[in-house]
Amino acid sequence: MRISDISRLAWDQVKRRKVVTGLCMAGISIGCAAIIVALSIGESAKSYSEKELNQSFKMDEITVTANGGIPSQGGKGGGGASEVSDKLDPGKLTRQKLDIIQGLQHVNAAAPFQDLGYIQMCTMDNKVADVQIIGTDLRLLTKYEKTFLQGGASDLPRMAVLSYGATLGLIDNETRQKIYEGFGNDPYNVQLREQYDSLSVLPSQMYQQQFQLQQFQDYSNQASKIQQSAPLRVIGILNKASGADDLMESYNKIIYVSLETAQQLVEELNITNGTVGQEGVYNSAIVKVDSIDNIVQVEKLIQKLTLTTSTNLYQLEQLADKFKMVKKVALGVGVFILIIASISIIVAMTMSTHQRRRQIGIMKVLGANMGQIRNMFITEAALLGMMGGMLGVLISYLIVFGINKLIGTASGPVPGDGNIINIPIMTIPIGIAFAVMTGVFSGIYPAISASRTNALTAIKRD
Amino acid sequence: MLRVENVTHFFKNGSESTPVLHDINFTVKPGEMVALLGSSGSGKSTLLNLMAGLMKPMEGDIYIADHNIVKMSENKLSEFRRKHIGFIFQAYELITSLTVRENVELPLVFQSVSPSIRKQKSLSLLDKVGILDKADLFPSQLSGGQQQRVSIARSLITEPSVIFADEPTGNLDSKTEEEIIGILLQLNKTMNTTFIIVTHETDVAEQMQRIFALRDGYLVSEKGSLVGMESKGGISVED
Repeated sequence: MRISDISRLAWDQVKRRKVVTGLCMAGISIGCAAIIVALSIGESAKSYSEKELNQSFKMDEITVTANGGIPSQGGKGGGGASEVSDKLDPGKLTRQKLDIIQGLQHVNAAAPFQDLGYIQMCTMDNKVADVQIIGTDLRLLTKYEKTFLQGGASDLPRMAVLSYGATLGLIDNETRQKIYEGFGNDPYNVQLREQYDSLSVLPSQMYQQQFQLQQFQDYSNQASKIQQSAPLRVIGILNKASGADDLMESYNKIIYVSLETAQQLVEELNITNGTVGQEGVYNSAIVKVDSIDNIVQVEKLIQKLTLTTSTNLYQLEQLADKFKMVKKVALGVGVFILIIASISIIVAMTMSTHQRRRQIGIMKVLGANMGQIRNMFITEAALLGMMGGMLGVLISYLIVFGINKLIGTASGPVPGDGNIINIPIMTIPIGIAFAVMTGVFSGIYPAISASRTNALTAIKRD
Repeated sequence: MLRVENVTHFFKNGSESTPVLHDINFTVKPGEMVALLGSSGSGKSTLLNLMAGLMKPMEGDIYIADHNIVKMSENKLSEFRRKHIGFIFQAYELITSLTVRENVELPLVFQSVSPSIRKQKSLSLLDKVGILDKADLFPSQLSGGQQQRVSIARSLITEPSVIFADEPTGNLDSKTEEEIIGILLQLNKTMNTTFIIVTHETDVAEQMQRIFALRDGYLVSEKGSLVGMESKGGISVED
């Protein structure tokens, strides 16, 4: 028997028996909608959390540091030696190693991020802020998903690129001192907190401006002289991280300088921080990988260079563990509803089989075998499942629309497309597949029962 | 073509058994038109059901086209019925959700015949039984006589070796009965199809080439007299 004929005969019955069709579809559609909505809520919550996580932790980056081990001449981080000697300190993070990493498959960029530590920035109009100084290849910043709000990168010495946060909260030393003293006297002063917060996000026009860097003042020794660097010029300002607001950015004050400038700053400000100051040796580097899926593979290769690596993948793993449970519960609810729906299909189709005994008998007399009768009923059940599934998809969209509307009303406008919960495309075939499977499984008993109908008994009239 | 050998059948009701057919023997040649004549309870419908493979006899064998259908499994019988046997029912037994043409095509659907061949064959047969113009109507839109014509066309579509007709004119008025019998005779003549027609009406039976009369489960002569029952416990009616 041809599939087209089986389908046509099954479709005829589905069309004819509207009550049975309606009952079965209602049950299945509710189960299917429950599965789709549950999966969508789970997925949306996961992707929302991942997005949040990505804003805080870059998932496709590997932070590489020197491998501690036992340094040849004391010091820290495998870089205590004043001479660069791979034999004595094999765990050093050197230029050569970075070149090797750069050549690895799946590596998009590998740049040193020489951390000079925290230092004070002082503008020409005497405003100050505490900033982190990082020496790197400025031209590679864009490879790390950093985009320029103003200006761009340059090789020239004494040029700096500021994070957006580094342009916020620059205040004069006097005001700053007053606020700190105020907090010291009354840590819960709301007015002072508000004033501090508003000053923290106060923007300053820094592009093409000059500034100096200086060591923190030693308040225990008022007579001590503050060491200052020669002026640097701002040649670029980076954009905010996506989704971050000004207050969040104000905690992320970074000044990027070239490695050459970093070296000059080390000398000018007498910075002693691990390998800082050693030519061609870095305390930190960041490796950008083309995909999260390749992080582990690349990380293993880097570790073979006797380097220490760290990634943020564990955050994702923790998140996945949390949502595994959510998904299981959601699926359980959906499957439970489908089981209930399945019972209703079995009942409805068994009744339908009984009512159609005569027709089945005629078909058997005309030459239909048990398999053909069985297939017709299973196809009918699968059709009911599919139609129920499609109705379920429609219902799930209505439910999700309703939930989004409710969330929108309760919590105000939502950024992006305005929806907190989205139905991932992949959940639609999953939902329909569940519905069809429910139809088929529920149709097996009625189908077998129909195929076993005795033709003679069925066509006998009272 | 059709050979019934020593067929005996009885219905069991608990420990009691009611005899229905007693040692029936006869042969039907290809292209013959035979009537199984008998009153209600004579066993003619049971014999028809046995010959069509819808039941299995307690004893004896039935051969159609040299195949013993008594020994066949149910699936094998379905396949055999599909290819070798046609049915015409007293109550037409058309499927109401299908059109006239689809009803006629139904036996070919179970044989996986292509839609174009099915259409061609069904229209040709509907033409032969005179209702080509009704091809796209549903059975409920037809009269009893027209529905029986559809049933006849359906029985012929697989070009079976034998067609069993169970009281084909039982639900029809005398004028329509004449028309239907006329069609069957005509088809027998033109298509050389073997017909076995169960009827309780002698005027219908008399139009057939041969008559096997049944009474109380025994096969009797055409005129209804018992032959040789005393000695054999049953009789054979042969040419």
